[in-house]
Amino acid sequence: MASQNLDPAASAGGAAAAMKGSEAGGNTTKGSVTKRLQQELMTLMMAGDKGISAFPESDNLFKWVGTIDGACDTVYEGLRYKLSLDFPAGYPYQAPRVRFLSPCFHPNVDEHGFICLDILKDKWSALLDVRAVLLSIQSLLGEPNNESPLNAAAAALWPNQEAHTKFTFVLCDWNSKIPNLFLYSNSFR
Amino acid sequence: MRLSSSVVPEFWCGLKQVENEVDERGRVWVLLTTFRTLLERLEPFLVGLERLGPWQDEGQADVCGPGPLGLQERAFTIIRGLLLFPPSQLLQDRVLDFYSRTFSVYIARKGHAHGDGEARAQGSEDPEGTNACGGCGVPIDECWCQEALKNLQELGHILSRVELLEWVSCDAVTSILHRLIEQWLEQHCRGEYERSFLDDFQQWLELVVGWLGQVFYNQEVHDGPPGHAAPASSVLKQWRCHMHQFFCRIYVNMRIDELFSIIRDFPESKAAIEDLKFCLERTNQRQQLLTSLKSTFENRLLHPGVHTSDILTVYISAIKTLRELDPSMVLLQVACQPIRKYLRTREDTVRQIVDGLTGDAVTGCTDLASELSRGDPVTLEMQDSDEEGGDPEGWTPDPTDALADKSGSKRRSSDIISLLVSIYGSKEIFINEYRTVLADRLLYQLNYNTAREIRNVELLKLRFGESHMHYCEVMLKDMADSRRINSNICEEEEEEPRQEGAEPRPPQWLSAIILSSEFWPQLKEEKMEMPAVVRRATDDYTRRYEKLKAMRTLSWKPHLGSVTLDVELEDRTISNVTVSPLHAAIILHFQDKSSWTLEELSAALSVPKEAVHRKLALWQQHGVLREESAGRYTVLETASSCKDKMERGAVMMIDSDDEHDSNTTTQTQQREEKMQLFWAYIQAMLTNLDSMTLERIHSMLRMFVVSGPTVTEMDAAELEAFLQRKVREQQLIHSAGVYRLPKTA
Repeated sequence: MASQNLDPAASAGGAAAAMKGSEAGGNTTKGSVTKRLQQELMTLMMAGDKGISAFPESDNLFKWVGTIDGACDTVYEGLRYKLSLDFPAGYPYQAPRVRFLSPCFHPNVDEHGFICLDILKDKWSALLDVRAVLLSIQSLLGEPNNESPLNAAAAALWPNQEAHTKFTFVLCDWNSKIPNLFLYSNSFR
Repeated sequence: MRLSSSVVPEFWCGLKQVENEVDERGRVWVLLTTFRTLLERLEPFLVGLERLGPWQDEGQADVCGPGPLGLQERAFTIIRGLLLFPPSQLLQDRVLDFYSRTFSVYIARKGHAHGDGEARAQGSEDPEGTNACGGCGVPIDECWCQEALKNLQELGHILSRVELLEWVSCDAVTSILHRLIEQWLEQHCRGEYERSFLDDFQQWLELVVGWLGQVFYNQEVHDGPPGHAAPASSVLKQWRCHMHQFFCRIYVNMRIDELFSIIRDFPESKAAIEDLKFCLERTNQRQQLLTSLKSTFENRLLHPGVHTSDILTVYISAIKTLRELDPSMVLLQVACQPIRKYLRTREDTVRQIVDGLTGDAVTGCTDLASELSRGDPVTLEMQDSDEEGGDPEGWTPDPTDALADKSGSKRRSSDIISLLVSIYGSKEIFINEYRTVLADRLLYQLNYNTAREIRNVELLKLRFGESHMHYCEVMLKDMADSRRINSNICEEEEEEPRQEGAEPRPPQWLSAIILSSEFWPQLKEEKMEMPAVVRRATDDYTRRYEKLKAMRTLSWKPHLGSVTLDVELEDRTISNVTVSPLHAAIILHFQDKSSWTLEELSAALSVPKEAVHRKLALWQQHGVLREESAGRYTVLETASSCKDKMERGAVMMIDSDDEHDSNTTTQTQQREEKMQLFWAYIQAMLTNLDSMTLERIHSMLRMFVVSGPTVTEMDAAELEAFLQRKVREQQLIHSAGVYRLPKTA
């Protein structure tokens, strides 16, 4: 797994790239990253998955906006979440930075929208792509990892699906007043 | 003044009194007499005036009163005013008659003198010309030509004496000349595009000027004193100029009407185009030409009844023609705009052009191939980068009717192929279409012969550049490689010791064409289960291939092949039938079992029943199979039974429908796929970015859709149409200039 995460251009270039001046090397990698991202976009478009989608937010191919619909039969059903995807210059050898833009009440999502998901951290592999990330997040919504919660309140509430559902929806309505809600959720408990 | 009270009425009376005179000659006499009387009456004045002249010259300004005009001029102005106001139709008519008559007399005599049959033929109104005088149109014995000429001179004399010549005769002469030129052009030039008429016209013009000399003859005598009036020769020069101008205008008018036919006949009608160019430079009728040509195109060419190849043929001719006519190419660009626009809507345009280019067009467009093989290696890029056309001295401004769009004159090219290719704005479409054509052709002939295609590809490479033709090159290389690999594999097979019990097989009974799937256009997919024998062979082949080329394998496309086989029956053999693989597979199944139902066959081949049914028809026609009862087919082993049972006429060739189908997916399908892909992108961007304008969507697509061999760019208009369609289908909402997806889930 680790070997895949090594950027061949960076590692092979090594000292040589430093000698040549970083600009030229940076450009070539950027070119190949652009190509890769374009290809991923194409793959995503062709796959036509229901409930997930993403697109560059402007002419910058390194910044995407994603949309995930909550999967059926989960508390998130009928809800739509916006995410931002930031691709580092070292992509795909470094994981993209993915964050919820819409408030999301979920054990593995903190109040700033950051997501605790293994494939976005240490389990990232260059073989993964945007589509895989989005699908993982979609399934994460339905099956949280309560072992390592970012949002303790949500994790505590998770077993009580009904209450959790309520919170999820309230959160959607209240939009970004997350800290207050947490207080509220504590007293509720 | 006596002038107004008696002279003028007398003049008009003189003119009118003889209304009962029907004879033309009589009328001329009356006209002349009237003027004679007029001159008589005025003579005293004129003499008086001449006397007054010197006084005035001596500076006695009070005699003539204030004003810049001399006394004489004032006097003549008064005469003119009294005499000719209000303008009289009668006088005009009479003078007109008179001049036309004298003209035809003159021409006839001239023609006679020179033995010039042509001048004579048109001077005379009587085509026989034998028993009527060419000039005066009456039987020869009554000819009054001489007299007419004399009259002409006298009238000219009188009129110039009273300085009425210009006033009385100008109109008449002008209209006569106009009529004559029109007539002359009508007779000589209409429908006649293959010769130049400028020289003819020049000759004829000299003849006419001769007559004008007669008309204005007297002026020369009287205007003798230098400085008094322009000498007659300059008057004549003026007239000549005028006629020339007029000729040009009439000629251009006529040719504009006929331009479509001229374009259609182009290489033959070159002379007409050169004339037209000459004349057009002298008149201001470009706009008229453009409007008319455009509407002619629309009326005669751009409607559904015209075959695309015909439109292309005319377009090509138009390019050639207008290139001659207007080297700045503005006419071409503007006039052909509608054609280009229309061609864009035709589905088969690209195919027609490509067919034309590769020289196997059935109809029309045949000169495209020669155009291509002429192959000036001017690639499209080179023309684009040709900044400002080099020589700054030779720069001429664009004509005012140029389209005020994009990059000005350097964009305008006259190269036929570039123009055709640019109809769609991108050469990718053409190259893709060519690939399809090439693939079809290579797959259709099923041998490895590519000489002709190689030539075409080389020529196209000169046009479009190496990089664009890369795919085609690979395809051709595939064919060459296939031949090599094929013979290689077959040899290997020969050498291998045959397994026991294996049937002896003819050499090279299976040969394959190996295509690199990445580079070929998408092939039509069709499923078909190959019979076991064949499958064993193909598997074998694949194995050998894999050994030969490591890391690669074959995926067979059985439906694209062809099979030549012999059918051996009890009493007869049908040999060397070349059929499609499906046909062959069907008959092969009958080898094991002599009777099959449609369902069984369909299942065994995994081909839909309808297709099997269609293919069975061929064998029925050959008298090999027979439909016993509904859906059950058996082999007819003996010819006699075949003859007995076969009802002639009942078995029809049902199978012919898809024999010559294209092997590749069609352009429409491709476009549909492309649209599907674009729609996916559009949906995604609208899902994530909410609402966007048309321009934004367009630029996003341009930026992010990876264009490959199957996906080409879409222009803004096409995109808008597509989006509008989606709006109509209620898959999209368009409001306040932005598009968004309808809120559903």
